[in-house]
Amino acid sequence: MNILIPALVLAGIGFILGFLIYIVEKYFHVEEDTRLQTIQSMLPGVNCGACGFPGCAGLANAIFEGKGKPNQCKPISADKRSALETYLKEAFAEQTPSKA
Amino acid sequence: MTELIALAFGAFIVQNVILTQFLGICPFLGVSTKRSSALGMGMAVVFVILISSIVTRSLYHFVLVPFEMEYMRTIVFILVIAALVQMVELFLKKVSPSLYKALGIYLPLITTNCAVLGTAIININNNYDFVQMLVYSFFLPLGFLFVIYIFSFLREKINYAPVPKAFQGTPIALITAAILAMIFARFGGIL
Repeated sequence: MNILIPALVLAGIGFILGFLIYIVEKYFHVEEDTRLQTIQSMLPGVNCGACGFPGCAGLANAIFEGKGKPNQCKPISADKRSALETYLKEAFAEQTPSKA
Repeated sequence: MTELIALAFGAFIVQNVILTQFLGICPFLGVSTKRSSALGMGMAVVFVILISSIVTRSLYHFVLVPFEMEYMRTIVFILVIAALVQMVELFLKKVSPSLYKALGIYLPLITTNCAVLGTAIININNNYDFVQMLVYSFFLPLGFLFVIYIFSFLREKINYAPVPKAFQGTPIALITAAILAMIFARFGGIL
């Protein structure tokens, strides 16, 4: 029984903090380019840091800004990398201004 | 009042968080290569330590003590610090994107800065009352900011010095930090 109260209190604190983060997230939500999230979801998500960026979010950001390349990612499988590369070609082809 | 001034001065210089207590060495070595990022990191640490100390102290006295679970303080404090850093990050992203960009990865890294947890635990161990806690948790990270800032000046100068190849990078930075620590150890005689 003695172990139950601390566990419940800790769970309560965790729940309250999580809820607070949720509220802050709601109020201070920043609209981001959906392509950034797609790039991040196509990376393995292991956050190994072998690419030299802080985690997969860092590499996704770098790829999005054109500072990084998908082949910097070490643990990604070959077919997933080519899928990401084709996605990047499609997604960023629209952005290039058409010549008059 | 004199007691508070002594406490502030002690936290700032005499018991300096980096050079005397050896807390927060990771950002001290990692972020001190450029002056601007050192300043940004220092300010973020001041902010997070001040807020997290207020929250952890209140939580300790109003939740942990009544439930007789003081032994859980480490895990509770880590939880609070991680959540706080997350909230600060979300807040900064919306309110000041330029500062958010400047701090970059160093903002989430504050979660693992042991100076933050260290301050929270020192506050509890020394039984500081609320005002003492406020003074201590403001001047301690200010000492962090001060030291990391002067260290970034030194490292920028070291970049131009003819350092032997084996000592380039972190080794020479550690030697510089050791000499700085010896200088700061002399402040111990003041109080």
